[in-house]
Order: sequence, then C-alpha cells, then structure tokens
Amino acid sequence: MSGTDEGPEMLAAEYVLGVLDAAEAAEAERRMAADPAFAAEVAAWERRLMPLASLAAPLSPPDAVWARIEASIGAPAERAPANDNRRWFWPAATLASLAVAASLAAFILLRPVPPPVVAVLLPAAGGAPVLVAVAEPSGRVKVRATSGIPVASDRDLELWALRAGATRPEPLGVIPPAGRETQTGLPAGTMLLVSLEPKGGSPTGQPTGPVLYAGKLATYN
Amino acid sequence: MTQAEPAGAAALIARCAEGDRAAFRQLYAAWSGRLHGIALRITRDPGLAADATHDAFVQLWQNAGKFDAARGDAGAWLVSLARYRALDLVRRRGREVLGHEASVEQADSAADPLRALLDSAEGGALHRCLQQLAPDRRQLVVMAFVEGLSHSQLAARLAMPIGTVKSWIRRSLLGLKECLAP
Repeated sequence: MSGTDEGPEMLAAEYVLGVLDAAEAAEAERRMAADPAFAAEVAAWERRLMPLASLAAPLSPPDAVWARIEASIGAPAERAPANDNRRWFWPAATLASLAVAASLAAFILLRPVPPPVVAVLLPAAGGAPVLVAVAEPSGRVKVRATSGIPVASDRDLELWALRAGATRPEPLGVIPPAGRETQTGLPAGTMLLVSLEPKGGSPTGQPTGPVLYAGKLATYN
Repeated sequence: MTQAEPAGAAALIARCAEGDRAAFRQLYAAWSGRLHGIALRITRDPGLAADATHDAFVQLWQNAGKFDAARGDAGAWLVSLARYRALDLVRRRGREVLGHEASVEQADSAADPLRALLDSAEGGALHRCLQQLAPDRRQLVVMAFVEGLSHSQLAARLAMPIGTVKSWIRRSLLGLKECLAP
C-alpha cells in the first residue's frame, strides 16, 4: 500500500493536506468509502487543517461559471446540450473515455446480439472499468461486474439512474455480486451511478454514500 | 457580486436540499469568490479553476441533503468541495508536468503570512500551533495545503530529498495534532 507505511492516520492526514499523488489519493478515497473509522480520521484532519484554506485570496469567478452551473442543475424541462460531460461533477475521465471503447468493443463482440444502449461504469477515483450495463430494447437493464468488487459486509452497492436533465437519481436497487437485471426503460444519455450504501440500500431513496462508479448510457453503433 | 459574510451557510445549504434555488444563488454570491480563489491557487489555471468552482457548486446542489450541520462546519464543507475537486483536476491533468514556478511564497514578504487564520476561532488555534513549528516546516505545511502540492512537487520546488519532505510533513502533522488536541 503506497504512502501508508506510517499507518492509516498519516494517510488520512496527508490526504487532507493534499500531498498525495493520484494513486495514493485514490487509495485514500477507497478506504474512506469502505472504512468508517478511516473516514472519521479524514474528517478529524479536515477540522484541524481546513482553516488554512482562508489563506488563499478570494477571487470572483467569471460570470460564465454561474451560467454553466445553472445549466448543469437545470430543471428537467430545460434542454441540456448533448454530450456535455462537463455538466457532471463526476470526474470527466469517468465519462466516455476513449480507452474504454476497446474494452467495451470486446464486451460487445462476445454477445450474440449487440445491445443498442450500453454504459461502462468507471471508478470515480479513476482506474479500470468495473461494471458494464446494457439497456436492451425491452427496457431491461443488465448490470455485470467485470471483476470482483470488495464491499464491507455491512455495506451494499446500489445502482441509480440519473436521467438527462434530472437533478436527482432514481434508485434501481442494490447490486448483488452476480450482477443485476432491472426492468426499466432508460434512454441513452442517462447516467448510471453506483453508490456505497448501508446493507440493504439507501434508507432515504437518494444516495447517502459516496458515488464510487459512474457511466453514461450511450447508443452503441 | 460581493463576498458576503459566511454566516447562515448551514441554513442555506438546508434550503438547497429542498430545492430552493434562491438559497443556492445566495450561497453562490457569498462563497463563490472564496471557493474560486482556493481552486485557482491549487490549479494555477483559470480554466481548471472555473471547472472546479462549477463542479463544487453542482456537487453542493446535488449533495446538500448529505450535509449534516451537527457534524461539521458548513463553511469547511463548502471549502472542501472546491478544494478536493481542484486537487482531483490537477492530479488528473498530471500536475507533475505543470511547469509554473508562479508565486513561490509571496507570503514570505508579509509580516505574518498566516494572519488570515486569526479571523476564526479554529484558525486562531491552528495559527498558534503552526507558530510552534520550525519556520521551514511551517512553510512546508502551509505551502502544501494552500498550493495543493504533492510530496514530489514540494521536493522539486524546495530542492529537498523527497524522503525529507515526507518525514518533515509527517512530524509536523503529528505536532499539530498534539497541539490542537482538546
């Protein structure tokens, strides 16, 4: 484990300080999602160090930033530009990366009938795809893990659909280790999200834990 | 758009959780300058800073319901949204290749570069504890946090071995923790 030879507390402290490289920071974020004690350690370091943020001089952002934010959180009736991935706060790299196309193509070719709408869900912290979702013309969505996803015994992964223009995701249920099929019509452009939730799924009907994986359904030609 | 004083942020966040756009607009008016300033200092790139500010406010709107005022300070939460997003963006872009040697310690010239900390109670305690560190270690910790520099970037910037940077930072952090313990 990189950067953790002095124990988890130092990893938490260094994460909050911001000195970790990408791999180490991703490791810290994975632990935050899986280990409440570690997450509490991060929160304690945030309380200690966050006042340092006041040392950066304030500077009003350009007006265009507010316009973009308004577009991003727009009501469902508002039209959002197609393929504008910057609307989402999930790391841009989780959305439609070219590298994904190769693994996606391999996946598709193994199937007897190519499905029309697919999504590859990538870790929010960066890395290889872990889940593949296929929306069949019948409206059935199948989700399969491409490799084992370790989840603490008191947690579950839950699938969500965020439709284009919507501001709140719809719950699609907990994902069992073997994958999941769900009967729901989801159009291309819908963002699929997977969050870490208490056992049995979110008690609130909205994600309560971190979004670990995300990908957008797109028509595969 | 003035930078209004941050009071009431927790109440405004709670209203955002209920879909109150006026509250969201108020939070933006009060906090966008601070968040953008933090993001700009870390990214050193106006485009990336704008992206981080945008993403932080969208995240605020979408996750307002997750903020628990009983567990944390609203301002610190808002600041952390922009800060982590900015750090994430520069890591993705590969900040090791950013060659900017901008603003290496303009803070050095000020009489007390940390005096902004004294504006809040928590900041005051942190200020006192930072003063207990040796000046070079204090500078290292502050530079790391404010500029969002990685271990290896700090080592390059200060022409120090990376092992020394890591151990100085760790010892300084443990010293701060001890000093800040209730």
